[in-house]
Amino acid sequence: MASALRAAMLRHIRVPVQTLTLTGCNSQSRILCGSLRSMSSHGDDHLDKEEVIDRVLSVVKDFPKSILPRSVTPDVHFQKDLGLDSLDNVEIVMALEEEFKLEIPDKEADKIDSCNLAIEYIYHHPMSS
Amino acid sequence: MGASTGPKLSGMQKEVLGLYRGFLRAARTKSPEDRRQIESIVSAEFRRNSKLVDRKNFLYIEYLLRRGKKQLDQLKSPGTVGLSSSNVNLSQTKET
Repeated sequence: MASALRAAMLRHIRVPVQTLTLTGCNSQSRILCGSLRSMSSHGDDHLDKEEVIDRVLSVVKDFPKSILPRSVTPDVHFQKDLGLDSLDNVEIVMALEEEFKLEIPDKEADKIDSCNLAIEYIYHHPMSS
Repeated sequence: MGASTGPKLSGMQKEVLGLYRGFLRAARTKSPEDRRQIESIVSAEFRRNSKLVDRKNFLYIEYLLRRGKKQLDQLKSPGTVGLSSSNVNLSQTKET
Protein backbone atom coordinates (compact mmCIF):
# COMPACT_ATOMS: atom_id res chain seq x y z
CA MET A 1 0.00 0.00 0.00
CA ALA A 2 2.87 2.36 0.75
CA SER A 3 4.22 1.89 -2.72
CA ALA A 4 0.84 2.66 -4.27
CA LEU A 5 0.59 5.77 -2.13
CA ARG A 6 4.07 6.77 -3.10
CA ALA A 7 3.33 6.25 -6.75
CA ALA A 8 0.18 8.35 -6.45
CA MET A 9 2.11 11.13 -4.73
CA LEU A 10 4.84 11.05 -7.33
CA ARG A 11 2.28 11.33 -10.02
CA HIS A 12 1.08 14.55 -8.48
CA ILE A 13 4.43 16.05 -7.76
CA ARG A 14 5.81 15.33 -11.20
CA VAL A 15 7.32 18.37 -12.80
CA PRO A 16 5.34 19.37 -15.84
CA VAL A 17 7.29 19.06 -19.03
CA GLN A 18 7.41 22.37 -20.80
CA THR A 19 8.50 22.96 -24.29
CA LEU A 20 11.40 25.22 -23.52
CA THR A 21 12.44 27.64 -26.20
CA LEU A 22 16.08 27.64 -27.14
CA THR A 23 16.75 31.12 -25.86
CA GLY A 24 14.78 30.87 -22.67
CA CYS A 25 15.84 27.49 -21.44
CA ASN A 26 19.35 28.13 -20.22
CA SER A 27 18.74 29.72 -16.84
CA GLN A 28 15.72 27.56 -16.04
CA SER A 29 17.29 24.26 -16.87
CA ARG A 30 20.35 24.95 -14.76
CA ILE A 31 18.16 25.34 -11.71
CA LEU A 32 15.90 22.38 -12.41
CA CYS A 33 18.33 19.68 -13.43
CA GLY A 34 21.50 19.55 -11.46
CA SER A 35 22.91 17.04 -13.86
CA LEU A 36 23.27 19.50 -16.69
CA ARG A 37 26.91 19.84 -17.57
CA SER A 38 27.08 23.56 -17.15
CA MET A 39 30.83 23.42 -16.78
CA SER A 40 31.30 21.32 -19.88
CA SER A 41 34.27 22.48 -21.86
CA HIS A 42 32.34 22.15 -25.07
CA GLY A 43 30.24 25.15 -24.12
CA ASP A 44 26.83 25.30 -25.70
CA ASP A 45 26.07 21.96 -27.21
CA HIS A 46 24.90 23.55 -30.39
CA LEU A 47 24.76 26.84 -32.11
CA ASP A 48 21.38 28.41 -32.65
CA LYS A 49 20.20 28.18 -36.19
CA GLU A 50 19.63 31.93 -36.18
CA GLU A 51 23.21 32.52 -35.23
CA VAL A 52 24.47 30.15 -37.89
CA ILE A 53 22.37 31.90 -40.52
CA ASP A 54 23.57 35.35 -39.46
CA ARG A 55 27.21 34.41 -39.44
CA VAL A 56 27.02 32.59 -42.76
CA LEU A 57 25.29 35.55 -44.38
CA SER A 58 27.81 38.00 -43.02
CA VAL A 59 30.71 35.90 -44.33
CA VAL A 60 29.09 35.76 -47.76
CA LYS A 61 28.32 39.48 -47.71
CA ASP A 62 31.87 40.34 -46.79
CA PHE A 63 33.26 38.24 -49.59
CA PRO A 64 34.94 40.82 -51.79
CA LYS A 65 33.88 39.39 -55.10
CA SER A 66 30.18 38.92 -54.54
CA ILE A 67 28.26 41.17 -56.84
CA LEU A 68 25.13 41.97 -54.86
CA PRO A 69 25.98 41.90 -51.16
CA ARG A 70 22.72 43.59 -50.24
CA SER A 71 20.58 40.89 -51.69
CA VAL A 72 22.21 38.03 -49.83
CA THR A 73 19.50 35.88 -48.37
CA PRO A 74 19.66 32.35 -47.01
CA ASP A 75 18.51 31.02 -50.38
CA VAL A 76 21.23 32.61 -52.38
CA HIS A 77 23.13 30.38 -54.76
CA PHE A 78 26.77 31.39 -54.94
CA GLN A 79 27.33 30.88 -58.60
CA LYS A 80 23.90 31.55 -60.00
CA ASP A 81 22.90 34.54 -57.89
CA LEU A 82 26.15 36.16 -56.90
CA GLY A 83 27.99 35.68 -60.15
CA LEU A 84 30.85 33.77 -58.61
CA ASP A 85 32.78 30.97 -60.22
CA SER A 86 33.79 27.64 -58.80
CA LEU A 87 37.10 28.93 -57.47
CA ASP A 88 35.22 31.60 -55.54
CA ASN A 89 33.04 28.83 -54.25
CA VAL A 90 36.09 27.14 -52.79
CA GLU A 91 37.16 30.43 -51.25
CA ILE A 92 33.81 31.04 -49.63
CA VAL A 93 33.73 27.54 -48.17
CA MET A 94 37.22 28.11 -46.77
CA ALA A 95 36.10 31.40 -45.26
CA LEU A 96 33.18 29.60 -43.64
CA GLU A 97 35.57 26.96 -42.32
CA GLU A 98 37.55 29.66 -40.62
CA GLU A 99 34.51 31.42 -39.23
CA PHE A 100 33.13 28.29 -37.61
CA LYS A 101 36.45 26.65 -36.85
CA LEU A 102 35.63 23.58 -38.89
CA GLU A 103 37.53 21.46 -41.30
CA ILE A 104 35.27 20.55 -44.19
CA PRO A 105 36.46 17.60 -46.31
CA ASP A 106 36.72 18.14 -50.05
CA LYS A 107 33.86 15.85 -50.87
CA GLU A 108 31.44 17.85 -48.77
CA ALA A 109 32.87 21.19 -49.76
CA ASP A 110 32.28 20.45 -53.42
CA LYS A 111 28.59 20.04 -52.70
CA ILE A 112 28.17 23.33 -50.90
CA ASP A 113 27.26 25.87 -53.51
CA SER A 114 24.48 27.86 -51.93
CA CYS A 115 23.81 29.54 -48.60
CA ASN A 116 21.17 26.96 -47.77
CA LEU A 117 23.52 24.03 -48.06
CA ALA A 118 26.20 25.88 -46.10
CA ILE A 119 23.78 26.65 -43.28
CA GLU A 120 22.50 23.09 -43.18
CA TYR A 121 25.96 21.60 -43.14
CA ILE A 122 27.29 23.90 -40.46
CA TYR A 123 24.22 23.61 -38.29
CA HIS A 124 24.40 19.84 -38.32
CA HIS A 125 28.11 19.65 -37.78
CA PRO A 126 28.84 18.71 -34.17
CA MET A 127 32.03 20.71 -34.00
CA SER A 128 30.80 24.13 -35.10
CA SER A 129 31.60 26.98 -32.80
CA MET B 1 35.72 27.01 -65.74
CA GLY B 2 32.97 29.43 -66.73
CA ALA B 3 29.69 29.84 -64.98
CA SER B 4 28.41 26.61 -66.40
CA THR B 5 29.72 24.18 -63.83
CA GLY B 6 26.36 22.62 -63.15
CA PRO B 7 25.48 20.58 -60.11
CA LYS B 8 27.93 17.83 -61.01
CA LEU B 9 31.62 18.53 -61.32
CA SER B 10 33.70 16.39 -63.60
CA GLY B 11 36.58 14.44 -62.08
CA MET B 12 39.07 16.85 -63.55
CA GLN B 13 37.26 19.90 -62.23
CA LYS B 14 37.22 18.35 -58.80
CA GLU B 15 40.94 17.82 -58.98
CA VAL B 16 41.51 21.41 -59.95
CA LEU B 17 39.32 22.68 -57.14
CA GLY B 18 41.00 20.30 -54.73
CA LEU B 19 44.37 21.65 -55.72
CA TYR B 20 43.16 25.22 -55.30
CA ARG B 21 41.85 24.32 -51.87
CA GLY B 22 45.17 22.73 -51.02
CA PHE B 23 46.94 25.95 -51.85
CA LEU B 24 44.58 28.00 -49.74
CA ARG B 25 45.03 25.64 -46.80
CA ALA B 26 48.79 25.79 -47.13
CA ALA B 27 48.62 29.56 -47.33
CA ARG B 28 46.88 29.66 -43.95
CA THR B 29 49.95 28.25 -42.28
CA LYS B 30 52.14 31.13 -43.41
CA SER B 31 52.28 34.68 -42.14
CA PRO B 32 49.34 36.95 -43.06
CA GLU B 33 51.39 38.89 -45.58
CA ASP B 34 52.66 35.78 -47.28
CA ARG B 35 49.22 34.36 -47.16
CA ARG B 36 47.77 37.30 -49.04
CA GLN B 37 50.50 37.10 -51.62
CA ILE B 38 50.06 33.38 -52.12
CA GLU B 39 46.34 33.74 -52.43
CA SER B 40 46.55 36.47 -55.00
CA ILE B 41 49.13 34.66 -57.11
CA VAL B 42 47.37 31.33 -56.99
CA SER B 43 44.01 32.87 -57.68
CA ALA B 44 45.31 34.85 -60.65
CA GLU B 45 47.11 31.81 -62.04
CA PHE B 46 44.12 29.51 -61.80
CA ARG B 47 41.80 32.01 -63.38
CA ARG B 48 44.21 32.83 -66.13
CA ASN B 49 44.57 29.18 -66.99
CA SER B 50 40.84 28.69 -66.89
CA LYS B 51 40.47 31.32 -69.57
CA LEU B 52 43.43 30.41 -71.71
CA VAL B 53 43.24 26.64 -71.64
CA ASP B 54 40.55 24.78 -73.50
CA ARG B 55 38.43 22.61 -71.22
CA LYS B 56 38.97 19.65 -73.45
CA ASN B 57 42.73 19.95 -73.51
CA PHE B 58 43.06 17.17 -70.96
CA LEU B 59 46.74 16.63 -71.50
CA TYR B 60 47.67 20.19 -70.73
CA ILE B 61 45.34 20.37 -67.77
CA GLU B 62 46.85 17.21 -66.36
CA TYR B 63 50.27 18.69 -66.83
CA LEU B 64 49.24 21.80 -64.99
CA LEU B 65 47.76 19.70 -62.21
CA ARG B 66 50.98 17.74 -61.80
CA ARG B 67 53.02 20.89 -61.80
CA GLY B 68 50.68 22.51 -59.33
CA LYS B 69 50.90 19.55 -56.98
CA LYS B 70 54.66 19.72 -56.99
CA GLN B 71 54.55 23.42 -56.28
CA LEU B 72 52.11 22.80 -53.47
CA ASP B 73 54.42 20.23 -51.92
CA GLN B 74 57.24 22.70 -52.06
CA LEU B 75 55.04 25.35 -50.52
CA LYS B 76 54.07 23.06 -47.69
CA SER B 77 57.64 22.43 -46.66
CA PRO B 78 58.51 24.71 -43.75
CA GLY B 79 61.46 26.21 -45.56
CA THR B 80 59.37 27.89 -48.20
CA VAL B 81 58.15 31.30 -47.25
CA GLY B 82 56.28 32.49 -50.29
CA LEU B 83 55.66 32.32 -53.99
CA SER B 84 56.48 34.63 -56.73
CA SER B 85 55.68 34.37 -60.37
CA SER B 86 56.97 36.09 -63.40
CA ASN B 87 55.21 36.31 -66.68
CA VAL B 88 57.39 36.19 -69.69
CA ASN B 89 55.49 37.74 -72.51
CA LEU B 90 57.35 37.17 -75.71
CA SER B 91 55.10 39.21 -77.93
CA GLN B 92 55.99 42.53 -76.34
CA THR B 93 59.33 43.77 -75.27
CA LYS B 94 58.86 45.61 -72.05
CA GLU B 95 61.40 46.65 -69.51
CA THR B 96 60.20 46.21 -65.93
